[in-house]
Amino acid sequence: MAALVEMKNIVKIYPNGVVANNEVNFSVERGEIHALVGENGAGKTTLMKVLYGLEHPTSGQILIDGKPVHFHSPDDAIAAGIGMVHQNFMLVPSFTIAENIVLGKEPTRRGLLDRAEAIRVTEELSHQYGLKVEADAIVETVNVGMRQRVEILKTLYRGAEILILDEPTAVLTPQETQDLFRAIRKLVSQGKTVIFITHKLREVKEISDRVTVMRNGKVMGTLPTAEATREGLARMMVGRDVFLEVNKPPVQRGRKVMEVQDVSYVSETGRSMLKGVSFNVYAGEILGVAGVEGNGQTELVEVLTGLRPAASGRVLIDGKDILNRTPREVRLAGVAHIPEDRLTNGLALTASINENVIVDRYYNKPFRKGLLIDYKQVNKLGDALIDEFDIRTPSGLVPVASLSGGNMQKVIVAREFSFNPNILIAAQPTRGIDVGATEFIRDQLVRKRTAGTGVLLVSADLAEVMSLSDRIIVMYEGEITGVFPNAQEVSEEELGLYMLGLKRQTPEEMEAYL
Amino acid sequence: MKILRIPAVREVLRILLAITAALLLGFIITLLVSEDPIGAYKAFLTGPLSKFNRFGDWLEESITLIFVGLAVAVAFKSKQFSLGAEGQLLLGALVSGSIALFVPLPGILRIPVALLAAATVGFIYGWIPGYLKAHLNANEIVSTLMLNTIALKLYDYFLIFHIKPPNAGYNASDFFPKAGVLPSFVPPFMGDIYTRFSQQTNVTIMLYIMIAAFIAAYYMMFRTPFGYELRMIGANIKFANYGGINTKRTIILVFAISGIFGGLAGAHLAMGIHTKLIMNISLGMGFEGIVVATLARNNPLFVPLAGLAYGYLRAGADVMERASDVSREMVLVIQAIIILLVTAEGLLPVIQQRVAARRGANGQNAAALEGGENG
Repeated sequence: MAALVEMKNIVKIYPNGVVANNEVNFSVERGEIHALVGENGAGKTTLMKVLYGLEHPTSGQILIDGKPVHFHSPDDAIAAGIGMVHQNFMLVPSFTIAENIVLGKEPTRRGLLDRAEAIRVTEELSHQYGLKVEADAIVETVNVGMRQRVEILKTLYRGAEILILDEPTAVLTPQETQDLFRAIRKLVSQGKTVIFITHKLREVKEISDRVTVMRNGKVMGTLPTAEATREGLARMMVGRDVFLEVNKPPVQRGRKVMEVQDVSYVSETGRSMLKGVSFNVYAGEILGVAGVEGNGQTELVEVLTGLRPAASGRVLIDGKDILNRTPREVRLAGVAHIPEDRLTNGLALTASINENVIVDRYYNKPFRKGLLIDYKQVNKLGDALIDEFDIRTPSGLVPVASLSGGNMQKVIVAREFSFNPNILIAAQPTRGIDVGATEFIRDQLVRKRTAGTGVLLVSADLAEVMSLSDRIIVMYEGEITGVFPNAQEVSEEELGLYMLGLKRQTPEEMEAYL
Repeated sequence: MKILRIPAVREVLRILLAITAALLLGFIITLLVSEDPIGAYKAFLTGPLSKFNRFGDWLEESITLIFVGLAVAVAFKSKQFSLGAEGQLLLGALVSGSIALFVPLPGILRIPVALLAAATVGFIYGWIPGYLKAHLNANEIVSTLMLNTIALKLYDYFLIFHIKPPNAGYNASDFFPKAGVLPSFVPPFMGDIYTRFSQQTNVTIMLYIMIAAFIAAYYMMFRTPFGYELRMIGANIKFANYGGINTKRTIILVFAISGIFGGLAGAHLAMGIHTKLIMNISLGMGFEGIVVATLARNNPLFVPLAGLAYGYLRAGADVMERASDVSREMVLVIQAIIILLVTAEGLLPVIQQRVAARRGANGQNAAALEGGENG
């Protein structure tokens, strides 16, 4: 019997010359959960966009149920029973969930939208597939997990038999991820087929039946998940051995390098985003901050680095208060910052790599020579950092915009690490970058910590927080609700309960460990 | 094709190509409106070189354009859309002209003092919108336009009520005394050449100051810490702030330094070209700086070329108006169309991208085919 989906010799060359898919063969059996993994830029999303009719292959053939098909647009793909849930949700935030689900194929009565019917079908679908949603809630008021369920229901409402989920767990908590996996299993038990794009190998092992690995626009192989190991998959993805487990020597906690005392922050719209946060960072340890995104972590980091004004509190470094000082004063106090959003804060994309790495030191020797900047020294530093941090680029003079995401992040890491900070604040240091660069950056973080730098690590990737940190604090709604002095001893589920606000420690319980 | 990889060569080529395309379109329009289109267009194309004094007019006007072009380029490079060159120019002309008229110093002192005063007043008048932008978040487009109006009215007021001789029949000052007029750029000992230039043109030592100014602007922008700050703010102001750059101070200085060039343009108009203060001395010259700077991609190195090219178009249009049956209105239409095309930044990049894409597709293909195994 023919496979449900068969993509043969797919080639996709973008107009700018990038070869995203190169002679790709990919097939999916009916009723399976098929994981598609690979580094960023490996061509996973492009391949799925071709299947969903969003991109037209340069050459190659697609067969559904053994019959060749040509999709001119997603409408054709939807008609053939294919649905796709994108990484960035495509919902109308001000509409209700039911309205979003029926949008584009609305039940009508006398030419007008039949709201009651919309709610009825939403609830029926929700019940049938075990995807819990509140049909009459406004989308912008519900959490990310529910929005994702809305996206899935929307594709089901349009009659999808094959669901493509593009990195669905990137935005979810562990509990929400488990809920999603349960829902996926239920979908499959009712005859649906799921293609699951991810780069988290743990999830591949947990949820999928078969896995296809892509690298550099090509398929490196497809195998039953039962026969795959995480190490083996990582090797296929990267093309060499990858050390997934972080190897770090035992913590040698040093002196207190940063004291955060009772810091509060009120947003421009008047919302209280940080409510009296206090903790210490010690030399030689990684302090991880866990939490669902949007619970004050971004604000905390930006207040500590001088990018946002705090309402009250103190941040002491060597006895000196650096709160509400300029970013330069904070840097001069020895604080490095890997920003959460590298494109917004961390880089000037049109400027060269070399000019990006001197932003914190161009005014000092040896880069300053009299009235001028000594560009020989600048280029020397750039070349040295490109070498040391393995930034893949033809030279330091090319604009940062021409680099891949992972290499852009390495430019930031190179700059922030090379000024020998006492405190390193790393926000989402490996978000959206490939396995190779992630491994490199994690390794560098651990080295800095072992060399005696105090590291404050904020990450939405719980596995990252757990594997890198020596100590973990949990943030929930602008407060620290839990502290775990020994990161090895806490389970993911336990942290999840704190992250969702279902459990919290009293200030007395936390006091000794903050 | 290798020479095309040098950015400066590509830039010059881009400017020339844009102008050629614009000229072609201008000719098509001339065909439609003139009985003798070839003669008219010939006047337009060769006019500025046809007589010595016209050649002088072209150079004079280009110097003004280059100064205002530098003023705009400095501000635009840091993405500060200051339109204040017009106001700075007017005040520069007013202040330098007043000194040229009334301060009883010998020429060797009076001229430097007047130039310095023009630069200073430009600096201050640029500083104001800079401060308003940096500290009060006032939109610089609005604030500089308002300041232009204020400057224009101040200029008219002082000219009419304080500078104009009481018995004069029209609103203009007396001619400046010799000690207040910029000397010719040719030194007197060069005899014949000196006589020709000093009698038929007003090309003054401002030419040298202009050359010094564009080199200084280039070094400032690309070699000094301040220039680095300016460019990083232009590239991504959030990055500049995150990296520790004092963005407020830099923005204020950018506006102020841009004002220096505007002020000097005014001094050139007053003490070089007109040698007296007149009503409507500028006629929107400050805004022409936007055309010049855009053409030069806000790089001071290319501002002189852009200024000369644009100045040539303007001088040619003047000649065409006088020497052919094409009406002034049509000349202005042609000129405007040329500006439109010349400042269409996408003109050459589009061609470049096509070429690069084709080359890239081949290269990438090969890379992808041999990649994979070595990872």
